[in-house]
Amino acid sequence: MRKLSTALFILNIVYSLNSFASPEILSNMVHEKVLKNGLKVLVKEDRRAPVVVSQIWYKVGASYEHDGITGLSHVLEHMMFQGTDNLEPGEFSKIIAENGGRENAFTGADYTAYFQTMEASRLEVSMRLEAERMQNLKLQEKEFVKELQVVMEERRMRTEDKPHGQTYEYFKALAYTSSPYRNPIIGWMQDLSDMKLDDLAAWYKQWYSPNNATLVIVGDVQFGEVFKLAERYFGSIPAANFKPVKKRIEVPQVGVRRSIVKQKAKVPYLLMGYKVPVLNSVKDDADVYALEVLSGILSGGSSARLPSNLIRGTQVASSASAGYDMNARLPTLFLFDGSPVKEKNVQQLEDALLEQVAQLQTDLVEQKELDRIKAQVIASSVYEKDSNFYQGMQLGMLETVGVGWQKSDEYVDKVKGVTAEQVRAVAQQYLIEDHLTVVHMMPQEVPHED
Amino acid sequence: MRTNVKIILGLVLLLTSTLSMSVPSIQHWQTDNGTKVYFVPTQGLPILDAQLVFSAGSSRDGDKSGVAALTSALLDQGAAGQSAQEIAEQLESVGAQLNTSTSRDFATITYRSLINKDALQTSWRLLKEVLNKPNFPLVDFKRIKERTLLGIKQREESPGTLAQLALYEEIFKGHPYANAIQGIESSLKEIQVKDLKRFYQQYYVANNLVVVLVGGISRDQAEKLVQELVVDLESGKKAQAVADVVVQLKGKSIHHEYPSQQTHLMYSMPVLKHNDPDYFPLYVGNHILGGSGFSSRIVKEIREERGLAYSAYSYFHPMMQKGPFLIGLQTRNEKVKEASAAVKQTLQEFIQQGPTEEELVAAKKNIIGGFALKLDSNKKLLGNVVGIVVSGATLDYLNSYMQKVGAVTREQITQAFQRRIKMEKMVMVTVGQSKDIKD
Repeated sequence: MRKLSTALFILNIVYSLNSFASPEILSNMVHEKVLKNGLKVLVKEDRRAPVVVSQIWYKVGASYEHDGITGLSHVLEHMMFQGTDNLEPGEFSKIIAENGGRENAFTGADYTAYFQTMEASRLEVSMRLEAERMQNLKLQEKEFVKELQVVMEERRMRTEDKPHGQTYEYFKALAYTSSPYRNPIIGWMQDLSDMKLDDLAAWYKQWYSPNNATLVIVGDVQFGEVFKLAERYFGSIPAANFKPVKKRIEVPQVGVRRSIVKQKAKVPYLLMGYKVPVLNSVKDDADVYALEVLSGILSGGSSARLPSNLIRGTQVASSASAGYDMNARLPTLFLFDGSPVKEKNVQQLEDALLEQVAQLQTDLVEQKELDRIKAQVIASSVYEKDSNFYQGMQLGMLETVGVGWQKSDEYVDKVKGVTAEQVRAVAQQYLIEDHLTVVHMMPQEVPHED
Repeated sequence: MRTNVKIILGLVLLLTSTLSMSVPSIQHWQTDNGTKVYFVPTQGLPILDAQLVFSAGSSRDGDKSGVAALTSALLDQGAAGQSAQEIAEQLESVGAQLNTSTSRDFATITYRSLINKDALQTSWRLLKEVLNKPNFPLVDFKRIKERTLLGIKQREESPGTLAQLALYEEIFKGHPYANAIQGIESSLKEIQVKDLKRFYQQYYVANNLVVVLVGGISRDQAEKLVQELVVDLESGKKAQAVADVVVQLKGKSIHHEYPSQQTHLMYSMPVLKHNDPDYFPLYVGNHILGGSGFSSRIVKEIREERGLAYSAYSYFHPMMQKGPFLIGLQTRNEKVKEASAAVKQTLQEFIQQGPTEEELVAAKKNIIGGFALKLDSNKKLLGNVVGIVVSGATLDYLNSYMQKVGAVTREQITQAFQRRIKMEKMVMVTVGQSKDIKD
């Protein structure tokens, strides 16, 4: 992305009436250092405000789990706030709070990450604390029993009582056969009930080490100082020997998969997905960027094809979108979802979406459509710089899934390079019926008294 | 390691060190036809963010519940003879973003664009057309209305949404705030395009508009842009104040049976208007009570001690008239009694005894030490400035913010809570499978 923003910078000098934006402020420079124990430290300086975001990313998440222990990574994330050898349960959060910080953590299929946002001079506080819980987590039965209840409540809130959430869970389990992406990140309720403190201890020991982590710092800092701090707090933590995660590549899908999911809902809902490659699964990434552009053609803004043709044009859809996470660790799904308008049903919406796919396979997309996607990508790459947190997310995620943070520099140019022929070719190659999974969510009337 | 980890800075030190932080100054002027303009120039990013805020929220619906939200949603669906598609294509061809939204108090257009000449000219022209010349095409009106009706139906898929609607209906009974922003099925069916046009003509006028700009442009450029934007807008009249909220004399419990695994619980009453003299004691007090995640009492009692909920919180939501003070959580159906008792006890203790000195010191450290985080992006800056100007606070609000937080005492918090939060007037709403909650 470095190239792009230099170009923008020149534009700004030409056009804006105000003097602003020294190149230093707009810099995309990422400083990398790998400590002797394998901890990778990435620093991006941004001096617009006297704040810093600190994120530590571990290469572990739901896709590292297997049947019977689903949800383990996420419960462990919760337990990371529940005390260490030197910190009482909750004390971590208390210290961050009294230093004016905001903090949280999140678990995905491919990562577990912890972050603090603080006034820039407090960076050291967050490093001390993260180094502490990387090596000295104290897993206690009392806290575990309570926290497991909290996670079950979280699951009820996000899944059991959310028709779309529950439908997505069934959808994934149908679409994937051998890929670990078939399991929910939060875990199946039964697996949560069966979870033991020992499971967490083993999981912590297996994955929480400096050589399985990336520390990402973005904000009003000086990279040399950050490296020194990282060395001071993390440098003495020994590297761990751990076995690489099993590959568990999805077996080829050999025919369309369909299912109906009944829910206590009011409005029907459709989910569709085609098996597609991701950056991390290919040598030549041309197809992946073409799929990314294809998702923009369909769903990148209000002028894209789904809003234009299905919501405004034929008015078959009340909502409709398409999307694709090219940054997943393992091959994933190119997704469609939506709800029909009142007079139409889910089958009619599915037919309309398939017609959009067929069109992409037959006709070349127009140049002006491609240009719009590219303009939006370029603009977004500037808007993203308004958020330190987002910039850190990008670096941490790319690094953690195995793609490497450097890929973030290429994104805009690669998207700009995609041609109409490439978009048609990937539509023909990947969006085929044999690789498709379809779920219709059907509302069921439920007894409802007030 | 514990002694190493703990860095407790004295409050005095903290205050002096952060007070020197530079706070952006808000520039202000008024256009000839009455639009109030607020501008914060920023450096570092070639972006312009803007919000156009009208006092045209759903509290102005009258007997046409839903008309404000429909009017705002239709603005960019056809303007100056261009279709929704043409507007979207032009905006997106320069990477610009434009959204409309409606709250009970306000209708807002949110804009973001790069500031190179091509992007700024194209997107600003479209913003102007959407603002000045919306066409309200019949076909789009019908479509958006159908979508809204479906959305209204979909509210019944969410026990949390149902709980909030039931709560607002009760605590704002007889007041326009009681109605759902999107309206209800019966009211929506009656609304016609002419109602939107009438609403637009009355409320989308210069005297009823506040424009806030944040970004990498000069004052001179900002003045020219806004002048161009609003020059053709009718001056009109500023909307009259919405009626006072009258707090119910007696609280009550309302339960809606719903086939969910969790019961959603909300406990609330109207308390705060914008610019209330009790704001700072109540804000700092609530930070301790339930506004600061893991450090707050409600999270400690509900989640950390009892494992009853994933999310538990309290907040004051100041509005143009008294907005709600609200405690909320969701818990498995069989635990709702325990959770509700714990919420009431926690609140009662807090009202009676207030915070401890230790809690107050910790809260101030968190709020003051984290002040810089409120302003660390153009987006957040825009949100803060909009909040300040629509609430009628003085423009030096941010400059004096930390002193005001720092000056709050335990006694002030306790007194403010005792004066303003009356548990006997509070309404408890539960939605879930818990028939035995009423007792």
